[in-house]
Amino acid sequence: MGVLADVYEMLNTCNKCGGCHTACKTYKLTGIETMVARGRIQLIKAVADGKLEPNQEYEDAIMSCLLCGECAVTCPNGVHGNELVMAARRDLKLRKGITPFAKSFALKTLASPKRLGMGFRLFGGVGKSVLNKLDGMDYFRGIDIRNFPTAKKQFLEQVPERIKVQNPKHKVGFYVGCFLNYSLDQTAHSVVKVLTKNDCEVIIPKDQVCCGLPQYCYGDFETAKSNARQTINTFLDKYSDAEVVLSACASCASMLKHDYLKLFADEPSYLPKVKLFCEKVVEFSEYMDKIGVNQSQLHNSSPLTVTYHDPCHMVRGLKVTKQPRQLLQMIPRVEYKEMFEANRCCGAAGLVQAFFHEVSTDITDQKTQNIKDTNADLVATSCPACMLRLQGGINKAGQKQKVMHVADLMAKAYED
Amino acid sequence: MLSQTVVKRLKEIVGEKNVVTDKVGLLTYGYDGTLLSGEALGVVSPTTTDQVVEIVKLMNEHDIKLVPRGAGTNESGGTIPSQEAVVISFTKMTKIHEIDTENFVAVVEPGVINFDLQVELAKQNFYFPPDPSSFKASTIGGNLGECSGGPKCFKYGVTRDYMLGLEVVLPNGKVIQTGGRNFQSEPGYDLTRIIVGSEGILGLVTKVFVRILPIPRAKKTMLALYDKVEDASQTVADIVAAGIIPTTLELMDNLLINTTEDFTHAGLPRDAGAVLIIEVDGYPEDMDEQVKTIGEIASKIAKEFKVAQTAVEVDQIWTSRRSAFGSVARVRPSYGVNDITVPRSNFPKAIGGVLKVAKDFGVTIGVVAHAGDGNLHPLILFDQRNKEETETVHKAEQALCMMALDLEGTISGEHGIGLVKKKYLDKEFTPAAMEAFRKIKRSFDPTNRFNPGKIIDL
Repeated sequence: MGVLADVYEMLNTCNKCGGCHTACKTYKLTGIETMVARGRIQLIKAVADGKLEPNQEYEDAIMSCLLCGECAVTCPNGVHGNELVMAARRDLKLRKGITPFAKSFALKTLASPKRLGMGFRLFGGVGKSVLNKLDGMDYFRGIDIRNFPTAKKQFLEQVPERIKVQNPKHKVGFYVGCFLNYSLDQTAHSVVKVLTKNDCEVIIPKDQVCCGLPQYCYGDFETAKSNARQTINTFLDKYSDAEVVLSACASCASMLKHDYLKLFADEPSYLPKVKLFCEKVVEFSEYMDKIGVNQSQLHNSSPLTVTYHDPCHMVRGLKVTKQPRQLLQMIPRVEYKEMFEANRCCGAAGLVQAFFHEVSTDITDQKTQNIKDTNADLVATSCPACMLRLQGGINKAGQKQKVMHVADLMAKAYED
Repeated sequence: MLSQTVVKRLKEIVGEKNVVTDKVGLLTYGYDGTLLSGEALGVVSPTTTDQVVEIVKLMNEHDIKLVPRGAGTNESGGTIPSQEAVVISFTKMTKIHEIDTENFVAVVEPGVINFDLQVELAKQNFYFPPDPSSFKASTIGGNLGECSGGPKCFKYGVTRDYMLGLEVVLPNGKVIQTGGRNFQSEPGYDLTRIIVGSEGILGLVTKVFVRILPIPRAKKTMLALYDKVEDASQTVADIVAAGIIPTTLELMDNLLINTTEDFTHAGLPRDAGAVLIIEVDGYPEDMDEQVKTIGEIASKIAKEFKVAQTAVEVDQIWTSRRSAFGSVARVRPSYGVNDITVPRSNFPKAIGGVLKVAKDFGVTIGVVAHAGDGNLHPLILFDQRNKEETETVHKAEQALCMMALDLEGTISGEHGIGLVKKKYLDKEFTPAAMEAFRKIKRSFDPTNRFNPGKIIDL
């Protein structure tokens, strides 16, 4: 009960005005009250009050939250529905561990570089060849698995530990993250390219691990802490000459920068070190904007219409929205078009897309329609999870737009 | 508990997914915007009129009560399943059948969210004037059930004034249509106006013909700031006395300025005793003259008067006003909202009355008001967990109601009676009038099937 007792005052501050109805995509698309912040909060409160014993329906209500954070922004009382859901997930983890098995297996795999590396090798090799032979397996629960990219070799094995430049102005520690390492390695190369074009020496520690966000989101603080410690020690102690810790994944960056502080809130003796680390963390677009981009070398031969999708962790986690749009518009001949509800979740939401695929698919379909309405050729974003989700949704809808990371577009413009 | 037979039949009617009988699901349909709660026997979400008819027939066969529900954001307890009942949720009847800009009519299903309708209308440069503060979440069906108001009521009237016709499923399972596309001449009784505001106790509305208007070509939003809330109330009386009808004339006191500022950061001065938000609309050439006149009247008492310069500024001001109720839990976790309304000219006296109640009972009251309408929402802040405090709050609420009645007012302007204000209704109406209410209810619903226990006891 401790976890829920700690957040009880916030639970009690929800006065059920229903303001979150407009914020919550899972509610908007289902019209079901267990799928909105107000409903979830009342259920958590019932559990805290001992009026409800957690059961499968309760777990579904708690686990189907996208954690997009929009309810927290919309609530006039400042109730953070996403944080209350996180507390409920932690409470569930302590009560009964992580269920079902598939989820617990996925989280354990993500936490371990060895297992994850093996997983990707298997999926990229045998897995895909089997998939390609199976009819009706184009999409698994709305996820475009057949086109799910896998790096031939993980990014960390493709590059040296330090990438030097002539006359370095900055030294950047690159936190690659799982997606860019195992799946979208080309985007990781793009990040390095843009950094080196802007006189940054890039430091890429080999012993980096998952940031711990997936485990943290499902209440496994123990594993999340263990990964977090390794990340902090690597960048702060072993590569202390890195001026910043840069991530091109909005989710990782938000975890490293903000959630580590919450994760270690109960370890006051370690907290100062965590703070030092968090202060060093910076997201790719934010950093490029801060150091000032070398614009004269950006070239682009053909006109391009680009729209931008704000990842949840970018807009509500890191609160970075202007910089990526500015970077895109620095590229010559790019026409920028804003889409409707650019800052709303794309439907990926970590493992929600796999376990609550019906609502996730509806959310993604709305997003792809909003993209279509802009007539853009290309969608840029700042999170690899969103990239994969958006591209899958676009393919499924039979649309033609290509999804790229802001870094990919910039890297391409530096090549042209 | 519903019998297996009933559950099976309900699932046949609306589909498995649209029936809720598990404890978790039921818990989330047991509350609304008030502090009350109950637990339904089941929740059923129809998607067509035919399904509603089938549900009503089934409930008649098995003698089960029905509580209609939209978004469940009301402030009267109107959607609480306070007796053993099945909740019929209209949130899945969300079709906008038609937007007819030639005849200024839109035809919608009851579960359409007010804001979603506004968005569709705006694409054709039209709008639906009733705009309760909850309009981003609340449904048209709920709005008409409670006869909601909103800031624009001063000039444009309440929900009732925009309802042209309804399709209604009666308690006997028969479907009638009242009114329709025509603006005038509904022969016989005006059944539309009996259903609107009846809080779902007479019939279940399944289709709504609403009146829509072209968006005014221009509007101006002004702020007048005061040291004291009494001063602001005087400007309200002065504007009304001068024969000017702004679109909106909204008042917030110091407490609400501060709680909403915590949320919106709109830049309202935290030290002001009260603010009036005044908006005028119409033709562009009329704007300057109206702003000038209002400015002259307000400046007699206000310490500052200003006109919003940008659309962003206007948006922020309205976000503040609309989040007033929602934001008060920043101060105390519970609130009792009151909806007293007095004749416009008595508005300053009513403000004085509210301040007196706060002092007499030693309770914290934040005042937000649709001042132009004489409609006040004194919010009494407390903590429901403190029994003694809760008792005092109930007494203070009763005092507020009596004060309004003494000023020739009413206990509810726009939130409805539901359960929360039921106990005060016979203070406003004579026994004969109360009996007339009961007779109307009985003639529609002799078995007391629809939303039992709301507004009146039989």
